[in-house]
Amino acid sequence: MKNRSLKFITFTLLVFVTLFTVVSCKRDLDDLEPATFPTTAEVFIDGFSAGLNYGAFGGSKVTAFDVDSEEKYKGTASMKFAVPDAGDPQGAYAGGAYFTSVGRDLSGYDALTFWAKASKAATIDVVGFGNDFGESRFQTVLRDVKVNTNWQKFIIPIPDASKLTQERGMFFYSEGPESGLGYTFWIDEVTFENLGTLAHPRAAILDGQDQEFLVETGQTLNIGGTKAIFNLPTGVDQSVDAAPSYFTFSSSNPSVASVSSTGAVSIVDAGSAVITAKLGDQDAAGSMTVGSTGQAVGPQAPAPTPTVDADSVISMFCNAYNNVPIDTWNTGWQFSTAELLDIQIAGDDVKRYRMLNFVGIEFASQTINASAMTHFHLDIWTPDATALPAAFKVLLVDFGANGVFDGGDDSSHELSFSSPLLQTGQWVGIDVPLSNFTGLVNKGHLAQLVLSGDLPNVYVDNVYFYKSGSVVTTGPTVAAPVPTRNPADVISIFSDAYTNAAGTDFNPNWGQATVVSQVPVAGNNTLLYSGLNYQGTQLGSNLDVSSMTHLHLDVWTNNSSALSVFLISPGPIETPSVLTVPTSGWASVDIPLSSFSPVDLANIIQFKFDGNGDIYLDNIYFYKPGSGGGTTPTTAAPTPTFNAANVISIFSDAYTNVAGSDLNPNWGQATIVTQEPIAGNNTLVYTGLNYQGLQLGSNQNVSGMTNLHLDFWTANATALKVFLISPGPIETPYTLTVPTSGWSSVDIPLTAFAPVDLTNVIQFKFEGDGKIYLDNILFHN
Amino acid sequence: MKLKNLLLTASTISFALFFLFVSCQNDDNAIVQRTWQLVWEDDFNGNPGQSPDASKWIYDIGVGPGNDGWGNSELQYYTDQPGNVSLDGSGNLAITARSESFGGRGFTSARIKTQGQFDQAYGRFEARMKMPWGPGIWPAFWMLGSNINEVSWPQCGEIDIMEYRGQQPNLIYGTLHGPGYSGGASITKGYGFENDRFDKDFHLFAVEWGVDYIDFFVDETLYQRLTPDDVPGEWVYDQPFFMILNIAVGGNYVGFPTPQTPFPQTMLVDYVKVYKEAN
Repeated sequence: MKNRSLKFITFTLLVFVTLFTVVSCKRDLDDLEPATFPTTAEVFIDGFSAGLNYGAFGGSKVTAFDVDSEEKYKGTASMKFAVPDAGDPQGAYAGGAYFTSVGRDLSGYDALTFWAKASKAATIDVVGFGNDFGESRFQTVLRDVKVNTNWQKFIIPIPDASKLTQERGMFFYSEGPESGLGYTFWIDEVTFENLGTLAHPRAAILDGQDQEFLVETGQTLNIGGTKAIFNLPTGVDQSVDAAPSYFTFSSSNPSVASVSSTGAVSIVDAGSAVITAKLGDQDAAGSMTVGSTGQAVGPQAPAPTPTVDADSVISMFCNAYNNVPIDTWNTGWQFSTAELLDIQIAGDDVKRYRMLNFVGIEFASQTINASAMTHFHLDIWTPDATALPAAFKVLLVDFGANGVFDGGDDSSHELSFSSPLLQTGQWVGIDVPLSNFTGLVNKGHLAQLVLSGDLPNVYVDNVYFYKSGSVVTTGPTVAAPVPTRNPADVISIFSDAYTNAAGTDFNPNWGQATVVSQVPVAGNNTLLYSGLNYQGTQLGSNLDVSSMTHLHLDVWTNNSSALSVFLISPGPIETPSVLTVPTSGWASVDIPLSSFSPVDLANIIQFKFDGNGDIYLDNIYFYKPGSGGGTTPTTAAPTPTFNAANVISIFSDAYTNVAGSDLNPNWGQATIVTQEPIAGNNTLVYTGLNYQGLQLGSNQNVSGMTNLHLDFWTANATALKVFLISPGPIETPYTLTVPTSGWSSVDIPLTAFAPVDLTNVIQFKFEGDGKIYLDNILFHN
Repeated sequence: MKLKNLLLTASTISFALFFLFVSCQNDDNAIVQRTWQLVWEDDFNGNPGQSPDASKWIYDIGVGPGNDGWGNSELQYYTDQPGNVSLDGSGNLAITARSESFGGRGFTSARIKTQGQFDQAYGRFEARMKMPWGPGIWPAFWMLGSNINEVSWPQCGEIDIMEYRGQQPNLIYGTLHGPGYSGGASITKGYGFENDRFDKDFHLFAVEWGVDYIDFFVDETLYQRLTPDDVPGEWVYDQPFFMILNIAVGGNYVGFPTPQTPFPQTMLVDYVKVYKEAN
């Protein structure tokens, strides 16, 4: 028998060599036998099996593992693992992997088995195989392994052995202290086996759940929760975490979502797709359904770079400044559906929120002291509809002196913003005085910012607090002058002072390079063209301005060398009007509409600006001369005819006035106070009234008088009240009818000002808006 | 199938014996060639959800005449509902144990029998079946003496062609209960796979019963022959017996199901056939 065998081998070798020689010139890769790897089953029986190495995991106590010849299940030795106590300076846990440098062919086995016991009943966090300190493509993990003081056999089923033709990861473990205390466990007889008694293989992805995701093009999602489940020889099921590489993934619609061999799902287009998987020939339970909305709609250009000096800023999020630490830009509070994506637009970092109902932004671990700051700023961009009543809300929360939530010293305030500040498809600067957050009593321990409202998609940039007065003068620091024309004489396109024509698109895509935004300047919304080449404005509907005489606009620029404005009627017929640039402060321009000829004034559809530089624009409107003679009274107030003996006069050319009155005491108002001669008669003028005081030169006893008289004229006020004030202060308003048609003269019974002390009147106050002309302010009987 | 408190010990011993038998090829148990003639069968062909043939099978319903879990503290309530017993449409009978509250019990299942429809003394009785699994699951294919209502159990005799515990899915048992050797004192032997299980595929379970012998088979393997010499009491296997198929949940023999027991659990029966020896 022996001889015959030898002969046979020799013979076949010869044949093989001959054959090989003949065909070697055109060797086909398919003809090559695959390299074979050892099928060694043993990992640790009484010592390391052939080629086995050990490495401890990072952060673990590297001396946790040792070979123990005292305690063992069988043979002469076991593996001993000394789990450290919590706080052990040498490492927080015991963990490591046993691996070979040459892979083994484990495809003939169905499980890794081992015996284990411990110094006390405990739950080992993780044991498994397939960790090769590299890709660990076929890592298989058994979690929460309950051990006790008796030796027990454990089985880790191989999810799909056909994959393990050159596996290097033989065994690994990781276990931390139990309730802060270390202990010891032993593992012995670690070996791969072909048990044959594992049954009913099942598989799952996403932990067996059918999950749905709203996604968009460019997103990548990873399929986790990949499990293999087998019934053990004890009749109970055992689930192991099987690395995604064991699975074969497929997409129902690869043109919407593709899936890699490691379960990475890439969204490539709009539509829906279902990702499913197989483990071997088993369909895995669970699926990922993706509904893709396609390419996200977002800003093409970054938000305008802030111009506030860095020394005057506490920045939360802005590439132009150093930012303070923020704990999170999405606290994930209950009921919040907001998703946060950190994106870049032309190199500028932007926070993008999707499905925003509300989102918490928290900086509680290092609260912000904004006591020295005056304003809060953020820029937002939304693709969503911003027409009223859509609102965007900003809530600031201060945790108070104790620096923690609650404790009775928290304060907060929410502000709501809406159209026309909010705009669709444009960067909008929200720039508000901190004093507007009236409920925010303290600003020394700001800890939360909450964004909410009706815009599910919001891009956020340049979130910072700043101290005003420190704006670098690249833009206007004061608002454009408030228009004073009677609204009845005006067709407004862009102005806070009037109701604007509806539906205007301030940034139609005409291929321009100009960046359009709306920025608040001293609280007044202003249109900014940054880097103007040309820029259109599309009116919401055709305008008939043939009854108007002028186009008004306020313009501010310190870097433009050319600027023209065009009116456009269908055709298109367009005519430019050249504006003088740069400006010295705000320039108010009133252009006769006749100069735009031959544009059809009955059918204006568009504006256009061309030129260069950064242009601030405001109060763009058409007007005609006011029916009451324009914006300025052309006649003097009627001269009063009261007997001087029965008069105490405050402001009148007709009488001797109370001496020493201050017509413009500083009460923090915005009103501009001047005195102007109207037809030779000195008149008190309040421009841009918000409120205005008048401090009498001495306390006046007017109890002998019956009426307060005053003459007033306004073309554009929508509200006006006058107050008498006595110490306390006790003050009572009286409402005046505005706007006026010519001069209005009123004689207000002093009883209307009760409970003001008429024996001791010290001040007047006016509240309202617009431009007010006043004269003949006096008491009489 | 009835009272088996001490069976665990007995089966452990017989299991050990079985391995001995396999290794030494006991000539006493050599298979004698016989010619069998089919006299009764049900191949369970039919539509899914259909109840088993009423001319062949009747139901045991409820928790047993003594309200004691059929004498074994079994936990299930037996029903005749298709959810517990029906054809699967693929040529099998499906008996399904479910974890659901019914009739005051936490589980439902089914037990069907040929009592009053068919019985026979001697011959070959076989069923091709695939087992359920999980701790506390106790399926069986077994027979009782048709005179049970006259002489009662265990005088009537019981032949357990196949019993199985869901926590040991690689083992089955063949057992005789009779007067003086019932319950824990029954005569039993296990047959096991080293690298396989009875719930992974179908297997054929059979007895061949003649005058003064009963041979127990799994597939082609005879693993136990019992004769009057092997029983410590009367040999009562000389009169007709009827067949029973069921899954019990819990009970003295198998122990409680655990939270890890997967439910529902189904036993599939491809066919049941009965032969007599041809002359």
